[in-house]
Amino acid sequence: MGVAIFLFSLAQAWSYGTYTPGHIPTILLGLAVVGFSLFIWWRQDISFDGHYEPLATGVPFRGIQIRKVAVWVFLMSEMMVFTSLFSTYMRYRLGIENCGTVFDRGLFDPVTNPTGWQEGVAVTCFEPASHLIASSWWHLAPGAINTFALILSSFTIVQALRYAKMPDLDDEVRRKKVYRYLGSTWLLAILFLTLKMVEWFIGFYVPEISVIGLHEHDIVSLVSEGYTINADHYQHHSYIDEATGAHMVANIQVSASLFYVTTGTHGAHVAGGIIGLSYMTLKAWKGLYTPANAVSIEYFGLYWHFVDLVWVLVFPFFYLY
Amino acid sequence: MAHYKILGQDPYWMNFFGLMFLTLVEVAAVGLDLSDFAAGYDTTEKVVTLWILTLIAIPKFIMIAAIFMHLYGDDDSKILTMTALFPAFFIIIMVLFIGLTHPDAATGLPDWCRPGNYGL
Repeated sequence: MGVAIFLFSLAQAWSYGTYTPGHIPTILLGLAVVGFSLFIWWRQDISFDGHYEPLATGVPFRGIQIRKVAVWVFLMSEMMVFTSLFSTYMRYRLGIENCGTVFDRGLFDPVTNPTGWQEGVAVTCFEPASHLIASSWWHLAPGAINTFALILSSFTIVQALRYAKMPDLDDEVRRKKVYRYLGSTWLLAILFLTLKMVEWFIGFYVPEISVIGLHEHDIVSLVSEGYTINADHYQHHSYIDEATGAHMVANIQVSASLFYVTTGTHGAHVAGGIIGLSYMTLKAWKGLYTPANAVSIEYFGLYWHFVDLVWVLVFPFFYLY
Repeated sequence: MAHYKILGQDPYWMNFFGLMFLTLVEVAAVGLDLSDFAAGYDTTEKVVTLWILTLIAIPKFIMIAAIFMHLYGDDDSKILTMTALFPAFFIIIMVLFIGLTHPDAATGLPDWCRPGNYGL
């Protein structure tokens, strides 16, 4: 609820480039609700020793931890959030002509090619981000590394749970194993968001390595390529008519918005996970996880695996296809 | 926690290696030139790639949900799987009636769904 108040107020305060300071109090209210909730959660979890884990008494969840069921119900709502984004993507991808298809029709000619594009006139079309991202192995590298990082992080968190639950393990060994695995998960999550920033805003430099035939070049970020949510005169470097040298420009606001909103929503979930992981790693470092209270790692792990699960669909359909 | 083995090995490690392998295949499918293969089936390379990506995403999805999220092999796996599948009905409705609205998907997008509205 706090997140909703915060986001809606933020959107109201900066609506269409206009700043309205009247919404600042509700922004702060949203942050306060989130902060207070996190504080209550921390108070309850830090002292949780596993001996009062409430179990469901009614069907169909009788005997199952109530918090575990609650996490699953929460994940169901998350499924709906991402499904709405995916269905929107499918609708627009099928409903708006692909920019590559428009370009292939060739330059406009009133007699020979009346359906062609005209230089200087922006065509509204769907330009998938994959046209830039999947154009070379180097462009694809941040997204591909992120995919491996998320899978690895799913594995490290399940290992943290395994060692936290081992009943016959020395306490110090358990402490080290759990905080190292949780710390690795935290690092991988940070790596994910860092590479996301590199891919969106920063780009990177590829040095010359003549031994393997690699030439020095820059990998430009998506924003620097002009792939932005307000791009109404976007031009991909391949959209040039070879015969005349004419450039096709495109209005790609829908496709770019969809890409940034979907991958950004996923990124926000990773950022939320980093907050949880920071706390859990600290708790593990203090040796406060025991086989009795390790279920907290399991509950968080469900959320984290879900974030990985969403990426399993986001990566092929937004980055590769 | 998992109380079973996969091919006699630890399920988490096996799942991890399996997911890594499938992701490599996924990335390779995009990088490889499949135009000849596509021509053999009278279709385009993009369609072949989409099929490969979709077919790989399904087992990856199941592997994470079943093994890492413990929807397989635990005492409460069955009811929690049912819980996880509950939104499937709504998801199918959303995908079929919004995502794949046909037959006019290519031309029938209303003006308010297109760029140029809402001051953008």
